[in-house]
Amino acid sequence: MSWVGARVRPIDWDARTSGRTPFTADLPGEHLVGAVLRSPHPYAEVRSVDTRTARAMPGVHAVITAADFAPGARYVHRGGPLSDRPPLADGVVRHVGQEVAAVAAETPEQALAAVRAIRVRYRVRRAPLTTAESRARGARRLHVRTTDEANVSMRLDTVWGDADGGRDAATVSVTGGFSYPSVSHACMEPNTTLAVWHSDHVELWTSTQSPWFLAKEVSQLLGIDHDDVVIREVATGGGFGSKSKASEHEVLAAALARAARRPVLLALSREEELGANKPRHRFATTLATHADADGVLRALDADIAVDNGSYNHMGTSVMRVGVITLGSMYRPDGVAFTARLVDTATQPGGQFRGYGTPQVSLAMESQVDEIAERLGIDPIDLRLRNLAPEHAETLCGYRVGTNRLGDCLVAVRDGLDWEGARPSSGPVARGRGVAAGSHGSGAYAYEFANRSDAAVDLSDDGRVQVRHGGSDAGTGQNTILAQIAADELGVDLADVSVLSIDTERTPFELGAWSSRGTHMTGSSVGQAARELGDRLRALAAEKLGVAADAVTLSGGRARAGDEDVELGDLVGLADDARDGVLSHESSYLLEGTEMLTPDRDRANLSPSYAFAAHGAVVDVDRRTGAVHVVDYLAAHDVGRAINPTAVEGQIVGGAVMGLGAALGEELVREGGRVVPTSYLHYALPRNADVPRVRAHIVDNHEAAGPYGAKSVGEMSIVPPGAAVANAVADAVGVRIRDLPITPDKVLTALAEQEGRRRRHHVWRRPSRWWIAAIRALYPLGLHHVLDRYGTRLGPARRMRARPPAPAPQVHVATGLDDALTALAAPGAQALGGGTDVLPDRARQPRPAPVLVATTAVTELRRLAVVGNALHVGGAVTLAELAAHPSVPTALATAIDTIASPQIRNSATVAGNLVQAKRCWFFRNGFDCYKRNGPTSPCYAVLGDHRFQHAAVDGHRCQAVTPSDLGTVLPALDAVLVLVGPGGARREVPAAEFYSGPGETVLADGELVLEVRIPLVAGRRSVATKLGLYTGDFATAAAALSVVVGADGTWHDVRLVLGALAPTPWRLTAVETALRGTRPDVATVRRLVDAELDRHAHPLPRNGWKLDAAAGLVEQAVEQILEP
Amino acid sequence: MSHTLVVDGRPREVDVAGLPSLAAVLREQLHLTAAKVACGRGECGACTVLVGGRPTMSCITPAVLVREPVETSEGLADESRDLREHFADTGAFQCGFCTPGQVVHACALLRAGLPADDGARREHVRHALSGNICRCTGYQAIVDSVCSVADERPEVHS
Repeated sequence: MSWVGARVRPIDWDARTSGRTPFTADLPGEHLVGAVLRSPHPYAEVRSVDTRTARAMPGVHAVITAADFAPGARYVHRGGPLSDRPPLADGVVRHVGQEVAAVAAETPEQALAAVRAIRVRYRVRRAPLTTAESRARGARRLHVRTTDEANVSMRLDTVWGDADGGRDAATVSVTGGFSYPSVSHACMEPNTTLAVWHSDHVELWTSTQSPWFLAKEVSQLLGIDHDDVVIREVATGGGFGSKSKASEHEVLAAALARAARRPVLLALSREEELGANKPRHRFATTLATHADADGVLRALDADIAVDNGSYNHMGTSVMRVGVITLGSMYRPDGVAFTARLVDTATQPGGQFRGYGTPQVSLAMESQVDEIAERLGIDPIDLRLRNLAPEHAETLCGYRVGTNRLGDCLVAVRDGLDWEGARPSSGPVARGRGVAAGSHGSGAYAYEFANRSDAAVDLSDDGRVQVRHGGSDAGTGQNTILAQIAADELGVDLADVSVLSIDTERTPFELGAWSSRGTHMTGSSVGQAARELGDRLRALAAEKLGVAADAVTLSGGRARAGDEDVELGDLVGLADDARDGVLSHESSYLLEGTEMLTPDRDRANLSPSYAFAAHGAVVDVDRRTGAVHVVDYLAAHDVGRAINPTAVEGQIVGGAVMGLGAALGEELVREGGRVVPTSYLHYALPRNADVPRVRAHIVDNHEAAGPYGAKSVGEMSIVPPGAAVANAVADAVGVRIRDLPITPDKVLTALAEQEGRRRRHHVWRRPSRWWIAAIRALYPLGLHHVLDRYGTRLGPARRMRARPPAPAPQVHVATGLDDALTALAAPGAQALGGGTDVLPDRARQPRPAPVLVATTAVTELRRLAVVGNALHVGGAVTLAELAAHPSVPTALATAIDTIASPQIRNSATVAGNLVQAKRCWFFRNGFDCYKRNGPTSPCYAVLGDHRFQHAAVDGHRCQAVTPSDLGTVLPALDAVLVLVGPGGARREVPAAEFYSGPGETVLADGELVLEVRIPLVAGRRSVATKLGLYTGDFATAAAALSVVVGADGTWHDVRLVLGALAPTPWRLTAVETALRGTRPDVATVRRLVDAELDRHAHPLPRNGWKLDAAAGLVEQAVEQILEP
Repeated sequence: MSHTLVVDGRPREVDVAGLPSLAAVLREQLHLTAAKVACGRGECGACTVLVGGRPTMSCITPAVLVREPVETSEGLADESRDLREHFADTGAFQCGFCTPGQVVHACALLRAGLPADDGARREHVRHALSGNICRCTGYQAIVDSVCSVADERPEVHS
């Protein structure tokens, strides 16, 4: 059979799906544990690094600093003056999280203690944190650069074609500024390296897409030969470009192993992954698109600022590939652009799937739609009018072969409900959008990138092994290479194995990046296998006494006429076979492609070019601003698919990753430091957030590609941003130009569109004057003083200079009395499911020395209807409560939105109620007022407070109470029974349980014994919630309970808003007004709006939450009124 | 400090001094490394194991508090074989790092039973697996696989 083109399983599916495939952190054997000391400052001079105490600590085997590398050691990356990044800071730190020193110790606790014992004297300097600040007059220059502009690492001023003529010929132009955010790859496997130092070489097992580059960087930084860095094969848990060049854990692990003379495992934490690794470069693109009356694009003018971060890494080529978008897909007369790679004192950008193309594509494909709208032309028709011809050269110098973009666009029109998905007038508007894209396949993007070597071995048992120096980080590369070898040699796929990565046992290959996998290794492995096949045919011909061209290979045999011989039997006939293995190595050299060089801005980078069109159908909720993608079709020209299932996987996975950046993901920073350093605060798509993405592969065969194939993995992430933005514009008529399209942006734009504006008249409310005054002082220097100086006085800051707290004692309480007695001890803390208490301990200045486990206490585990109330013990889990037949609807609904089923299986009712406050500064370890004491600032006042902070009643701390139960229980008139020392009980209405954001009236030693929820006949209750992803905390929430009379009148109304004020906020005035009436949605909205306007005191960017909360109330009322 | 865990049907003595998580005990003491630690904060699901049959984030579950039987991806390899074959046939994994957690969680869903109606079943699975982040696949092949297995196993309905 032909394996190429078949839907075969990944060759290692059994081991990988059962978890038997080892990743680096799974490898057996003894090793030390590495840890990295990182800069807390965006920019500072490093006066001294004192490691003496750390070196003397127990279990510590090595401490390394810049002094352990050659003076001036730098990563090569692009080479020459562009090389600027040291392995460890030498003299200056230029971003929060930059590596300053590293430690190897016997346990993680010892390593962390040693890191904390390293004394660094910094001289902190102001430095620009955004591209605008970097380009402002007087900004500190982060590096000496070769351009004549401050902080501009590279500048491109380019005109392709006749831009002037195109502009003159145009009759319609649109102009706008677009930004694509910095987003994290968020690979599931944290970057990890195991390094073993031998007398004459170092072995590394590491997460990588590119072993060759790694060996190159590690060897030159350590001053050893390239071949003395030996990378061994191990599974890589996702790459998406991030692992296609050296990061920093690889060389640090190697240097630690050298210093310690022991194996060292260095694994980044998730916090380090998100906060200090190299994300996608943020692009700010100002674009003007000019078209003629027929809708033909005539010229594009762009001015692009690329946020380089603090070091070049690969930013120069990301920018170059990004701008190519303007000249690679359509056929305008000309394109003119200026692009600047701007240094900022933030984490350096890295390589990310799509490599600059998604960023520029957002601008171009949004404006294509704007042109279409201006001209009244269907967006797909307009794109079809602008298709570039096949087998022709583009403005950017691409010599395109096949181009089935037209087929892709037609597939979107035919496959989506393109005509039916039209805007409607209801609260949820539907719209559809399309975006096109192109991407190279096997780009000649680095010296030697046009070469790939591969080897194929045949053993005398008939088994085949493919050896290549790339790394399959999940793309399916190894499987398609096995398919290719199986076809060329006529063997069963099950008889083919693949060895990758191993730099000692695989031939020269630069790795899986720049869409090289399919084209380059597909070609080299195919060539090596083909040549080995020729050899086998010759051997068989000799054995069978026939001509070589009479021999065919199939079914694991060489056949000629009626005679055949097993392939394995031919091995012994080859005089160069060794140990029963016949090996053949071959070198594939790609001709006809060109590299971009400093003096060359047009090049035929790739042997072939992939194309795609994506169509999205979205629902935009005008009440909450939420955007839901309800249908998505991704049509791709991949040439011929070598493995259609793997290709579809790349299409769907890339599209969903693109949807993440379109709708939620952003590495928001505060003072140069990444705020969302946890998945909890990083809105990447969860399962229920994504639509069924339908992958469609258009029919094609690319003569330039191996077996007709082109690339796919990067292509799929290019169109989603513009496709969604175009769909949102279609739905509600507002164009969002800054991704991600979060509810705040949608609601703010809709309010502007509808001319709505809230007035809060704070000047009439003396109780708010003090707060307003403090907020006004924040930007005038108060924030700076508190942040720079005040934080030094707090306990959290001091805590980080001490060894980590020892693990707490756990007292497993056997009964209520036992629990209360144990809790009476100083510093004891109750432990429920542990889902909140345990993760938060690492950030607490004084974590509790004793934890009292409550989940085995019978009295706390009661869940029963007693009289007319449901009694819920404090240690009942959320899952248990939700499953009870008498649980009110609002409560069951709310619980279903909390975190994940796993968390709900562990988390307790009491734990949910008393969980730490909701604030991403507080929860991610900022030294804020609540974490670090009164001399510290609230980072939310000036920081990003759009989603998580109070818009009503905020005081010194702007956080809100996170508990969804806390919002719902007051609406159900619930009462909490608290039990304290000696068994003293008191009852507190749920509405009075909170005293502040996530702060309760619980006294020391007191427990939530149970929650009593009245079960009222005829009561209807609902809960509605807005979050950024499934399982997120509430950005806003509403809970409404009503007893509806037979005549439809409302009685016993309770309405509570969550996540809007520091504590759940009961709208008693609205309740009173509604009592005894038969309200409609509009009436309730009017009453709620009036109440919001009366009480709100939003921060500058969270006023939209008032609209969202009012919208949630509307939804709740609708559900109550439903028959 | 010794504690007895029943893991994949076998009683195992483990050391719980220092309050190690269940994930740490499984990985470091019992060398059962299918449960991965990708966040260490109970936010991603890669460490999912069954405790008393319930999907649980082993990275934030103190081993000392685990009193019910633990089932890991390794122990569920046979039970999950049909599901894993679907994963392989539909592209429900790429890098495979989150896959053991997805498979373990899906085993619990299939045991509990899924709605018979196609649409409701799909929604149920999507929602239930939203605590298991996958960065590679875009999820739908995972959902397809679980739903298909529910069709093929006669006993799976609710």
